[in-house]
Amino acid sequence: MTAQEVRLCGLLLQEHFGNVVEKVGTHLIRSGVLTLRALAHETKLPLDLVKKSLCVLVQHGMCTFGAGRRGPAGPVEYRINCERVFHMLRYPRYIYTAKSLYGDTGELIVEEILQRGQMTMSSTVKTVADRLTHNMPEGQSMDYSEVVSAFSQLVETHFLQRCPLASAGSSSSGAVDTPLPVATQPTEPESHPDCYKLPYINLTGQGKRRRSSEDGEADQCAAKKARTDDSECGDDRIYWQVNFQRFHLHFRDQAIISAVSCKLDQSSSEIVRTMLRMSEVTTPAHAAFTQALSANEIFRALLSSYNIARPILDQYLSLLVDDPMEFVGKTGDSGGGMYVVNLHRALANLARATLESVVQERFGSRSARIFRLLLRKRHLEQKQVEDFAMIPAKEAKDMLYKLLSENLVQLQEIPKTPDYAPSRTFYLYTVNQLPTARLLLQHSYKTVGNLMERRLYETKENKRLLEKSQRIEAILASLQATGAEAAQLTEVEEMITVPERQQLESLRHHINKLDSSENQVDETIFLLKSYINSTQASR
Amino acid sequence: MTEVKVKKESTDPVDIENRIKELCLQFPHGITDQVIQNDMPHVEVQQRAMAINRLLSVGQLDLLKNSNGLLYRLKDAQSASKVKGSDNQEKLVYQIIEDAGNKGIWTRDIRYKSNLPLTEINKILKNLESKKLIKAVKSVAASKKKVYMLYNLQPDRSVTGGAWYSDQDFESEFVEVLNQQCFKFLQSKAEAARDSKQSPMVQRNSSLATSHEVWKYICELGISKVDLSMEDIETILNTLIFDGKVEMTIIAAKEGTVGSVDGQMKLYRGVNPIIQPTGLVKTPCGLCPVTF
Repeated sequence: MTAQEVRLCGLLLQEHFGNVVEKVGTHLIRSGVLTLRALAHETKLPLDLVKKSLCVLVQHGMCTFGAGRRGPAGPVEYRINCERVFHMLRYPRYIYTAKSLYGDTGELIVEEILQRGQMTMSSTVKTVADRLTHNMPEGQSMDYSEVVSAFSQLVETHFLQRCPLASAGSSSSGAVDTPLPVATQPTEPESHPDCYKLPYINLTGQGKRRRSSEDGEADQCAAKKARTDDSECGDDRIYWQVNFQRFHLHFRDQAIISAVSCKLDQSSSEIVRTMLRMSEVTTPAHAAFTQALSANEIFRALLSSYNIARPILDQYLSLLVDDPMEFVGKTGDSGGGMYVVNLHRALANLARATLESVVQERFGSRSARIFRLLLRKRHLEQKQVEDFAMIPAKEAKDMLYKLLSENLVQLQEIPKTPDYAPSRTFYLYTVNQLPTARLLLQHSYKTVGNLMERRLYETKENKRLLEKSQRIEAILASLQATGAEAAQLTEVEEMITVPERQQLESLRHHINKLDSSENQVDETIFLLKSYINSTQASR
Repeated sequence: MTEVKVKKESTDPVDIENRIKELCLQFPHGITDQVIQNDMPHVEVQQRAMAINRLLSVGQLDLLKNSNGLLYRLKDAQSASKVKGSDNQEKLVYQIIEDAGNKGIWTRDIRYKSNLPLTEINKILKNLESKKLIKAVKSVAASKKKVYMLYNLQPDRSVTGGAWYSDQDFESEFVEVLNQQCFKFLQSKAEAARDSKQSPMVQRNSSLATSHEVWKYICELGISKVDLSMEDIETILNTLIFDGKVEMTIIAAKEGTVGSVDGQMKLYRGVNPIIQPTGLVKTPCGLCPVTF
């Protein structure tokens, strides 16, 4: 765990769960694995607070527990999964993807499950139906069956999955006979055979609209009803969580498709999209290639709206295969030609393009030329760099040294004599893609941490103003509900002066910019992380 | 029997020299010592050596060495008159510089070859330069180094740097202009191919341009004062590849088709970058007014 990653985890935990959880979480990350007692002792927090924080983290899947170093007889040890904490940065992107694929219903389902960590199907359906009904015009309400169908679609395409069965049986019965899972290997959700099987629930009805006047009573009624309903619905203890890996595969596919459409043209990207869609659920997660698909199958699966004839399809496929980027490869000739999408190669190309664009934006297009030159030709002397890049010697030297000082370019010494005399050694410049990608990933983590801190600082600075505007809005809302005159409303509105309004506006604008920057940097993080993972998997 | 007195031919030194010169004329690519001896067997070794040395010092004879031994060759009158009036050392230095051809030679190398002290060399070089027999050319590789070559020779490409250097300065604007022109040509070709809306193979093939076509286009544009060869254009196109704007494929071509080199042709095609500028570089820094 690098310092930047720990800092970012701390900021994320604080923003989503508060100070106590942040303290517990960062301490656990820094120490690695700890028992409950040690954790409470070192953070100097009361035991029940620590217990509650750990519960929150476990509920969201960020903390795992298991038998510790002393074996099954010893105390349970807890550890934090940092990757899961970083996924919190990507929540907006998951929700947006669900919305674009399955509409508002899908969006709300994913949002609810992300917020709660794990939920049963019935409770999700009810909450989502209520929320949708709330937004609908008077008199209409959302039927449960629609929500159920959206939910089942999400499960079929593997975006949602059942939570792995925790060893809850042993803790409830108090016996330690059943072996706890080893702390180092959490049970994979996919190892469960019914991972994607929908439970049979009898859930009929419609979403309830919440009236603001009956707030207090409705809450209590709804809470009671929910408890009784749960046990009625028959899916007790079957909890669902978001399948992050599936979302990541989806993002990766999107990146590949947009790269193909930029490089070649729209029709080629549609063909690649079809190929990826066909192999969505059959390709294992870290595979280097998709399943081999024959040209006949691709032709049949192509949507008729694209209007691509068979010989044209063959031409496009051969063009894709010949392209130097090597997105698609040909593995055989049966069935009209067997084609695969080269996933690892595509990720490497995307990571390379990311590195090049970073160098270009930061140091200028001539430095980018030198960088690309070194990526292609591996090792070059200074004189050769100047010759190939056609840049005057002085400027080339300056740029190379700047890149070297930023560690984007490395120097390799090859001595001619056993003593490394500088006049008698070759100095070759080189770029290694993988270490540079890791370096940029750490930079990105630092950037996101900085953006978050700036946002929190801005909010804190203007806390007084924000609170005032919130109070005014609450007063306005209550006045409107009770039916006030226009004069009263304008009077209340004028409590915020014009410069304050401007300040509020600029603050909102600023915070929005910072927020959207976080999302954009997260895209870079995703690409680089996928590339690094793909190189590790193949090793 | 009376003794027959063999009349000794007069071994006049001037006669020996003339005879040697005639022999040289007979054998224009040089005569060895052996040939002189055969011709004038009565001349003693010392006299022969003296004659040869005199001719050498006057500058009418050239001393060369080949695998068998020493060769003497008549120097033509033109060059003989040039170095008349200079002494031996200068002639030696001049000869060394002449041998270097159009690559030129550095002062240190002259010193090694002639074994003369540095001060002498400098004096001689100044002398020769004032007589306009040699000239100094600044090398483009190491800017402090000066190489000397004969006055009327064109310096070699490796010294001046070829088409991209004028007066030892790298012409970056010229390279930039050529860069942009080539890119525009390839880009317009790619766009024309895309707009033609034909089958993808035909589109792709019509967006390709051989290096020969690009070379012809640039020559016709007439923006270059210097003649550019196809290799020069290919180095420019390589820089475009390193800019990520162009990609290259090599295909096999029949010998004799225009523009093919060793049975291969290089084809170039304008391309778009595969991703937009990445998110990390889109974040504004805290001070930029963009965020406010």
